[in-house]
Amino acid sequence: MVTHSQKIEEHFIAEKPFYLPQKNELPVALAAYANGLPLLLKGPTGSGKSRFMQFLAWTLKRPLITVSCHDDLSTSDLVGRYLIRGGETFWVDGPMTLAVRHGAICYLDEVVEARKDTTVVIHPLADDRRQLAIEKRGELLTAPKEFMLAVSYNPGYQSVLKDMKQSTRQRFVALELNYPDPGLEEKIVCHEAGIDEQLARSLVRIAAMTRGLKDAGLQEGASTRLLVHAGLLVREGILPRDACHVTITQALTDDDELVGAIDEMISSVL
Amino acid sequence: MEKTTAASLRHIIPDSQLNEWEREELIEQLTVYDPRLRQAVLEQIAIIWPVSHSLCFAFIGQLRQGLDCLEEKQLPEWVKGILAAYEAGGLQAARHYMSDVENNFLCRLRGESGLLFAAARGKLAHYVRGISGRGLQIEAAPIVATDTATIFLPREISFYQDNSENFQVYKLLATYQWGFISRDLYCQKHGALSLPGKEAEGDDALERYFRSFGNQALAQDMYHLLQTVRVSGFLQAEFPGLMRDLRPFFALLRVSRPDFQTLSGVNYLFEQARHWLLGYLGDDRTINIDGHLAEILAAARRNEASSADLLAAAADWYRFCSADDQSYAPLPPLLFQGEFRPREAHGARLARRANARQKFIEALAAILPPASAPDSTESEEEEPQPPAANVVEKGATISPLPPAKAGKNEAEFPQTAEPRFICLDDERIALPEELRELAREIEEDLGGLPSFYISSASQKAGGRTSGRIKGPRQDDGQPLQGELLYNEWDFRRQGFRQDWCRLILKKVHPVKGTFVSSTLEKYRGQIMQLKRQFEMMRTQHLFVGRQRDGDDVDLDALIEAHADVRAGMVPSERLFIRLLRDKRDIAALFLVDMSSSTEGWVGTALKESLVLLSEALDSLGDRYAIYGFSGMRRTRSEVYHVKGFDEPYSEEIRGRIAAIAPIDYTRMGPPIRHFTGVLAKVDAKVRLLIILTDGKPEDYDDYKGEYAIEDTRHALIEAKAAGIHPFCITIDREAQDYMGHMLGEINYTFIDDVRKLPLRVPEIYRMLTS
Ligand SMILES: Nc1ncnc2c1ncn2[C@@H]1O[C@H](COP(=O)(O)OP(=O)(O)OP(=O)(O)O)[C@@H](O)[C@H]1O
Ligand SMILES: [Mg+2]
Repeated sequence: MVTHSQKIEEHFIAEKPFYLPQKNELPVALAAYANGLPLLLKGPTGSGKSRFMQFLAWTLKRPLITVSCHDDLSTSDLVGRYLIRGGETFWVDGPMTLAVRHGAICYLDEVVEARKDTTVVIHPLADDRRQLAIEKRGELLTAPKEFMLAVSYNPGYQSVLKDMKQSTRQRFVALELNYPDPGLEEKIVCHEAGIDEQLARSLVRIAAMTRGLKDAGLQEGASTRLLVHAGLLVREGILPRDACHVTITQALTDDDELVGAIDEMISSVL
Repeated sequence: MEKTTAASLRHIIPDSQLNEWEREELIEQLTVYDPRLRQAVLEQIAIIWPVSHSLCFAFIGQLRQGLDCLEEKQLPEWVKGILAAYEAGGLQAARHYMSDVENNFLCRLRGESGLLFAAARGKLAHYVRGISGRGLQIEAAPIVATDTATIFLPREISFYQDNSENFQVYKLLATYQWGFISRDLYCQKHGALSLPGKEAEGDDALERYFRSFGNQALAQDMYHLLQTVRVSGFLQAEFPGLMRDLRPFFALLRVSRPDFQTLSGVNYLFEQARHWLLGYLGDDRTINIDGHLAEILAAARRNEASSADLLAAAADWYRFCSADDQSYAPLPPLLFQGEFRPREAHGARLARRANARQKFIEALAAILPPASAPDSTESEEEEPQPPAANVVEKGATISPLPPAKAGKNEAEFPQTAEPRFICLDDERIALPEELRELAREIEEDLGGLPSFYISSASQKAGGRTSGRIKGPRQDDGQPLQGELLYNEWDFRRQGFRQDWCRLILKKVHPVKGTFVSSTLEKYRGQIMQLKRQFEMMRTQHLFVGRQRDGDDVDLDALIEAHADVRAGMVPSERLFIRLLRDKRDIAALFLVDMSSSTEGWVGTALKESLVLLSEALDSLGDRYAIYGFSGMRRTRSEVYHVKGFDEPYSEEIRGRIAAIAPIDYTRMGPPIRHFTGVLAKVDAKVRLLIILTDGKPEDYDDYKGEYAIEDTRHALIEAKAAGIHPFCITIDREAQDYMGHMLGEINYTFIDDVRKLPLRVPEIYRMLTS
């Protein structure tokens, strides 16, 4: 019986990721790390959660293993499974096991999407036991102090089917990453899309306007990510209004009136 | 035939009042209509002629176009409207009204002329909300203006053939009016206008200021024009796209202005300045203004100029022209500039101030510890009277945040230092977000938080624990006897009033009528789309893997098990995929507000939304029930049975939905508690309680204000504790602060546009359950 392990080296982050802190997220996360507490990142889509995790991993010089959760994600997908090749079976560690073994940071993106039974493995890892049971192998791993569990969650989705259970929430140190302040967001967009300040500033203003429509028609306003996308298209030579239409307007809604209104905001500003 | 017409006409209009050729022309115009219609028209002429002859001619001239739109039987109603417009605003207004038939009546034919406000409204309202970041209203009106709460726009815009260009004009007008609000045209920010003399509550300092000029209209118009120059500069910086797109429009406006060369004195200067501005905006720099006025205009254009600077500049300009001030003959203002309405703006400000005061006191009282209440024997009923002026008294202080980073963003995101704490008797109380915002709004208005706001709140908070307070608020009745009794939460004693309310179950008797069929007709397209969307939800997760038994083998699981066996493990037995027929194990109960305040649009929209929802849910197959609630006093809280969980959506149910009507008051606690009990017994994985309401809970007795809010909040928390997911959909013009507190523990949404409700409700349901 052979154990195959993915290469952990691939998960180290070589270059310093570009990240501008919104407030005290870095010191808080470092303090949580120092005390073996898991992290919950709350915030709307595209607000920098993944980017922050990369930055944190780089700062801590630990590998980052990210799992995007979906409704078919089972415990074996996290912990690992046996596979057969050439008549031989071998064990493959799942991402969670890999992270525990190597003292990496394991980041479960959109954790509420995962199947409910995954809590069985998340809970013991997220409290002071810090344990991962690999049932099939009869192994019980205790996470080294370098290991960190982080999950993300978007409270904006109001689906009752995707509510996070209290027993899960109350295990984590929760950090809220909302949309950055205008000045900061401007800098982010400038840097990420490689566009000039003035255009970045206009894009940020458009985003602020769409965020004002949240709950008044829109489910969510334009995220920083959308602004970066718009900027990238402009840099490729697409006309600014067209670029915003395809990246911002169409991403936000299908409602004709709202599409019209957002396009009007864009054409007012650009 | 002409003879009879002539005779009837002579009967209405005697010979002495009409010369022969006028009469002939009239008859000619009338003979194009068939006799019956002609008779109807004559009857209306008989009504209009005595009021005004010119109006009557205008009416006959417009009749043709009107009848393209109207049916014969609508004619009298139309004429009534014309006369009302005439009485209110003279011939001009009446003409405007007549040319606007389309907007006033549901028309058979759509004219091809301009863009109607009604058609532009939906998109424009979103636009205005987006740029202003708040719930600014828009409304059609005979003038362009704003009172800082609503933007008034023309009923129709027809500068261009192409309505998308006409929309741009609407957009320009709305943006300018918002620009005026944002640049504080009416000097509503505290300190914008400092005048000698004590400011009394309710006094409009701006109006008082302008009254001090010999020619008030001239001074006001000067100030307004300078503000327009300033706002133009602001918009060019903030909305360069808009201002660029509309350059041709500014040029168009310019050619339709009177030629200033034909004017003299102050009138010349005024019109010249307008031409200069339009030229400037249309990118035509050929108009030169020199001398003193040029300096004044240049100063107004400076970005840093404040409203106070402009008041000074206007006064300067006025002095410059004062020799001539009596010859001032006002010309119409620039279209996008609109009218200057300080009085209305002041009214809106006072309303906002009162509203903020009440909200602030309520919200602060809710967080103050009861102990901080002054030990007073004052009667609780009496609202403390505000001190005479808006002075900030000592005793209560607010400590601001360090000033926010100043920078170039300031113009668009004004960041005033925000109060964070309230110091009360040396105790520091941190303010939650919503209160901080309110406090900031109040400070901006009054320059500080009047201390009586804070003392009122602490008094209110004090009422909470002390059992000393008498009056009807405390136990004033016996527990009730009988069935269906519910407790009520009394926040003042932090306990329940036992068996306090009696709930009565009532039936709704179906009505026959056109409501349901016309709703189905009105939303036909959308219903089809809804059904499709909901059907898709149904099939989304039809298969689940890793089951003990099922319809097919789960290949992934099988391979895994095989590998497990090879590895010497006991394989899992969960190797099947199962087709789930009813995976969506959801039961939803809709509780609809039937209080009298829902009368009218809201009620109709609520019912329409129930129809749409039922259609959609029917295709989805989720179990659902619908109940209404209303009542009066604690002895008669009523719930109305519209549809039970087990009843299929039928003709009968449709009839009951149609029969829903506004009744009494909104006591929310008892129905929430009742249906929490009902839902708790329903066997489903997910149980939803969705409440549709139009505002605050309130009953005829003492179930009001804080008490009602706290009871409702508590009832919702109880529901949540019982494993039910409550969700509240509130229809209101803007998000109210109490909502955050009352519904904060649960999820909720508010809808500010009734028209959107019917489609939003199914959408919200979809969002909640997918
Ligand atoms: N504070 C920040 N510093 C640098 N870049 C940022 C920051 N916030 C957002 N971004 C930019 O926004 C983009 C989207 O952020 P990210 O992918 O981290 O979002 P997310 O919160 O993980 O979204 P989702 O919930 O959809 O996964 C990033 O690629 C980055 O360009
Ligand atoms: Mg992410």
